[in-house]
Amino acid sequence: MTATTSVDAAAPGRGPSRPGPGRRRGADLIVRSNLLLVFLALCVVASLLAPEFLTTRNMANLLQQSALTGIVAIGMTMVILTAGIDLSVGSTAAFGGMVVALLIDRDMNFVLAILVSLACGAAFGALMGGLSAYLSLPAFMTTLAGLTAIRGLTYLLTDGEPAGGDIPEVFQLLGGGFVGYVPIVGIIFVAVTVLAALVLRCTTFGEYVYAVGSNREAARLSGLPVRAVITAVFAISGALSALAGVLLTSRLTIGQPTAFNGLELDAIAAVVLGGTNLFGGRGGVFGTFVAVLLLSVLRNLCNLLGLGSFFQMVVTGLILVAALILNMAIEKRGARA
Amino acid sequence: MTQHPVNGPDGPTAVPRLRMRGIVKRFPGTVASDGTELTVLPGEVHCLLGQNGAGKSTLMKILAGSYQPDEGEILLDGEPVRLSGPQAGMAAGIAVIYQELDLVPDQTVAQNLLLGRAPAAGPFVRDRRRRELARAAIERVGGTFPVTATVRDLPIAAQQLTAIARALTADARVIVMDEPSATLGEADLEAVFAVIRSLTAEGRSVIYISHRMDEVMEIGDRATVLRDGRTVGVFDIARTSKEELVAAMIGDSTELVHPADRPAPTGEPLLEIDHVRFPGLLDVSGISVRPGEIVGLAGLGGAGRTTLLRALFGDARGDVAVRLAGRPVRLSGPAAAVRAGFALVPESRKEQGLLLGLSVGRNAAVAALGRPPWLLPRRTGARRAAPVLAGLGVRHASAGQPVGELSGGNQQKVVLAKWITRGGLRVLLLDEPTRGLDVGAKADLFREVRRLADSGVAVLLASSELTELTANADTVWVLHEGRNVGRFDPRTTPENTIAHTVITGVTP
Repeated sequence: MTATTSVDAAAPGRGPSRPGPGRRRGADLIVRSNLLLVFLALCVVASLLAPEFLTTRNMANLLQQSALTGIVAIGMTMVILTAGIDLSVGSTAAFGGMVVALLIDRDMNFVLAILVSLACGAAFGALMGGLSAYLSLPAFMTTLAGLTAIRGLTYLLTDGEPAGGDIPEVFQLLGGGFVGYVPIVGIIFVAVTVLAALVLRCTTFGEYVYAVGSNREAARLSGLPVRAVITAVFAISGALSALAGVLLTSRLTIGQPTAFNGLELDAIAAVVLGGTNLFGGRGGVFGTFVAVLLLSVLRNLCNLLGLGSFFQMVVTGLILVAALILNMAIEKRGARA
Repeated sequence: MTQHPVNGPDGPTAVPRLRMRGIVKRFPGTVASDGTELTVLPGEVHCLLGQNGAGKSTLMKILAGSYQPDEGEILLDGEPVRLSGPQAGMAAGIAVIYQELDLVPDQTVAQNLLLGRAPAAGPFVRDRRRRELARAAIERVGGTFPVTATVRDLPIAAQQLTAIARALTADARVIVMDEPSATLGEADLEAVFAVIRSLTAEGRSVIYISHRMDEVMEIGDRATVLRDGRTVGVFDIARTSKEELVAAMIGDSTELVHPADRPAPTGEPLLEIDHVRFPGLLDVSGISVRPGEIVGLAGLGGAGRTTLLRALFGDARGDVAVRLAGRPVRLSGPAAAVRAGFALVPESRKEQGLLLGLSVGRNAAVAALGRPPWLLPRRTGARRAAPVLAGLGVRHASAGQPVGELSGGNQQKVVLAKWITRGGLRVLLLDEPTRGLDVGAKADLFREVRRLADSGVAVLLASSELTELTANADTVWVLHEGRNVGRFDPRTTPENTIAHTVITGVTP
């Protein structure tokens, strides 16, 4: 504080008085590209250690595996940017997958079935977000309640049995199909990321998301529709979760009520690894995008090297901690500059 | 350099309690202390004055042991000391009471007072003993509240006394108080002053930091004025006028201390407050503001100024009847109030006014984006905010600079810029807009507020500093215990008369 103001007092003109912001932006860039560099380095290491890593087949596999978590993580990013958290994504995804399977089984047009499923997800999200925004309940609690209740509802749909079976071919393409070597779910993941980035950067709604996350009280006292914005990001997160469920149903050709257990933790891990601040206001979807790929490359590498899943869990946790420490160190340096 | 002969309580030859000699502290890109000198005598209240950034906080952090000076020495009662950390500072008998009270809000007064040093028998806290010790400490500072109360539930004045009491449980020789009045009303301040007087009567020394000159004149024995990290003068307050001190603080710069007078606005009232009622809290009626008029709201802490402004901004549920240009307006929430043309510069700019992590440009534009086509907010926002920021003279490196990096005065201007960028401003509500700002920044801010008023905006200005109101407002309303008790024209009423009403609630 003192340092800042003394500089102000000392600099007579109005012009740029110090290199602070430039360096800050530089630091931001390092944070962002840091993750990208780590990601690329990991890919190089992977291709050296396991020759089959760089095969198109493995790459396609990788994208397909990460796409569903990725789509959910994008929605989670928007929620976390408003300083919220959505623990219900796994249950909502499972519910979405079951609904679409059941509806198609009942001979509904699959496009319509998808839309109904997405609407259910959005409605669940809006309900939990709305409770949190309008009654000032912590989102952690409303979505924790949602996690349990929606999972229960999912089981109730079929009494815990998988659903569906007779699924049209076109619908199966959505989750399991390829364009050339590229899996369609991967394309959907990229599209969702780009769309979310556009919403965040190029619309007033996106700007409000950052404003609410940065300082909810100041945003409210600036006349912003804070509660509507919070409700909306939860609705988006719910809809994207349901989309992930739909894509899984399409790939497996049945709806699994037990699917996506623990998805919320994977999604949150990716968001945080991607540099989005858990307390809101800072970050973005591209960081999340890279982080999702990084995590699944890591998993893929462990698989190729024949390391068990227990080992993978340990490595993932360590990587997360390391990334957080690195981000904090760089941010501190930026703040001091 | 103005140097009056010094007559401390122990005579001019007494060994100083504290001497800081030739203190230099450099930070990357700036020198915060540049050979600062400070001499404090035993049993005196020594005021440390200076604009924001003059080096007061740095000097006090060095004294507390939080910072290590690059050069210079510290002598306590003639003995050189090295304060290697806050613990060493405390051990040497230096107690610092910061502006942001560092109490644990969810613990009791007793728990706070003996935090980390609770009397214990083995692993068990001796709770009754702790309460007794705490009670004695609170009594010593004149507090009458129970030590079992949770700090969060206490009024600010009681919290302040708790912080003082805690600082005193260590045997403090030098007590530093950093702007204790920033959050206190005038009556509460008297309680703190009484404690300060009893401390100095015991021979302890108090270093008092404040921006409010009236307090300095009342409580201080001597004053050291800092500017740009250097000591520019030591004054004997009894023989010095406020103007001399202010002149020393701002140096050669010709910022206005007393703004020019201007004719009182005439015309039909723009804002008419028929009544604002909150049972047991607030009952205000019959205040009106003309376009171009600045109406000041004076009152003690808790008199209802903030509640009134928040009610006018649609942010407090109660019985509110307000007319704008003769037509009743329904203020169902801040968003509705903003649409009607109301703007609030809230009490705490960091917690309520600014999106602290975001850039200057985004802060200045955030209220102006609610119109179709709702696209490209950063580009359109930057385009619309740039001339406003330039017009207000906000000193910033670029629109992309995080707003948290600006000085207090410039941050407050960004809050103002937010509303100007939005446009359609009709009623500006200012709640303690100059809190924590230095003299130059205050004058600068009021110049901008007057310019807005001159463009036809109705301004309601709440401030704890009466001088600020009489210097800037066309009309001053005094609020006392939730009621508006008196209306004054500062051009014709002596400040003392208004001050009397502020404290007593009685109009002459």
